[in-house]
Amino acid sequence: MTSIKFRLNGKDVAVDLDPSMRLIDVLRDHFSLKGVKEGCGEGSCGACVVLMDGYSVNSCLLPLANVEGHEIVTIEGFKETKQFDVLQKAFAEVGGSQCGFCSPGMIIAAQSLLSHNPHPTEEEIKAHMSGNLCRCTGYQAIVQAVEIASKKGAGLW
Amino acid sequence: MVEKKIAYTKKEALDFLANHDAYIIAGGSDMMVIKKNVAGYAPLFDKDVLYVSHIKELANIYEDKDGVHIGATATMHEIEHHKLCPSLLRKAISEVASTNIRHFCTLAGNIGNASPAGDTIVIDALLDAKVKLESVDGVRLVDAKDFVLGVRKIYRHPNELITELIFPKIEYTGELWFKVGSRRADSISKVCFAGYYEVKKNVVTKFACCFGAVAIRPARSKELEAKVVGLSLEELKAKQPQIAGDFAQIIAPIDDQRSNKEYRQTVAMNIFNKFIDDIVGGAK
Repeated sequence: MTSIKFRLNGKDVAVDLDPSMRLIDVLRDHFSLKGVKEGCGEGSCGACVVLMDGYSVNSCLLPLANVEGHEIVTIEGFKETKQFDVLQKAFAEVGGSQCGFCSPGMIIAAQSLLSHNPHPTEEEIKAHMSGNLCRCTGYQAIVQAVEIASKKGAGLW
Repeated sequence: MVEKKIAYTKKEALDFLANHDAYIIAGGSDMMVIKKNVAGYAPLFDKDVLYVSHIKELANIYEDKDGVHIGATATMHEIEHHKLCPSLLRKAISEVASTNIRHFCTLAGNIGNASPAGDTIVIDALLDAKVKLESVDGVRLVDAKDFVLGVRKIYRHPNELITELIFPKIEYTGELWFKVGSRRADSISKVCFAGYYEVKKNVVTKFACCFGAVAIRPARSKELEAKVVGLSLEELKAKQPQIAGDFAQIIAPIDDQRSNKEYRQTVAMNIFNKFIDDIVGGAK
């Protein structure tokens, strides 16, 4: 086994695991970060999305080897931020979350978008969030939630 | 026992490949699915694995007299937003998978996997890109159109690493990228098409096009393209049915879970005819 070191939710961590392990399995099984969800397991649904160096990535496709030296933030780490607070309230305001399974990935994907493009257009939001599937809301509420967060959180991103 | 190696330099990677027949993983977006195991267990690799994403010297994008060099570990996100990269490539990448996946998948990985439905391999072939392969024995350049041999088959020796793709600079006046999938985003192509042209004084002076997902390799014919060059726009319009009929012969679509051959054949030629219409109409 190889010791893989990376930052996870603000802390330095090291794991002695097979470097080909999927990041999602490492996060859920070894760090008990159950906010990372597995939907399709093939990169299509976005339920497993986490931040790597500030960019949204599918943790079901990332081998642990590729995470070495990088900074990973899951929904558990992100919930301690002001940006999460704004996004959470925006999603709640318009019903952008129903069953909740996709919500961690949605919130993380929205954070990735807003941190690089604080005032996205509706089309930019749709394009960016297209890798995150929701089977409850019909998406309009999610797009609205990101728009609201962009306005109410102006200056945070 | 399968060996797994994380390389941090090109030398480390080439030294490993000199003695190991290994899967090479950059982003991992394809291989991690192909070799997927049940949740909680590592993917099932049946031979050694080399991870190359940490090799910083392969992440560069730069331009020189040969064209734009795109390093093998540059992500599609970086290429999509890099102004040096060809606009057709950037357009195609903007429709590859999802934003989340483009944050870590690579151009080299796309051609290395050689899926017939790969989008960027169509652009590689159209723009006469070269694949740079390096090994402890030296450097080899292969035309991208010849690099993909078939479904998941590439012209790479076991000790070689794709280190970059090189796109020669091509000047033209019009271009088209058109992808048809099951939905607008995060979709695998049923059909895709890329083309460019140049018109000067009512005459077609450059013409190139390539079809994707309708053959086991990107489908392009420089012989047929040469027959279009030199035509006036009026001649092009008059000969359009015959030209389209000729190009229809270079594709061989199949039925699969995403579509059927009749749909693919029809849509591919509809896009081709739109391309011709753009040339004829746009230049007026």
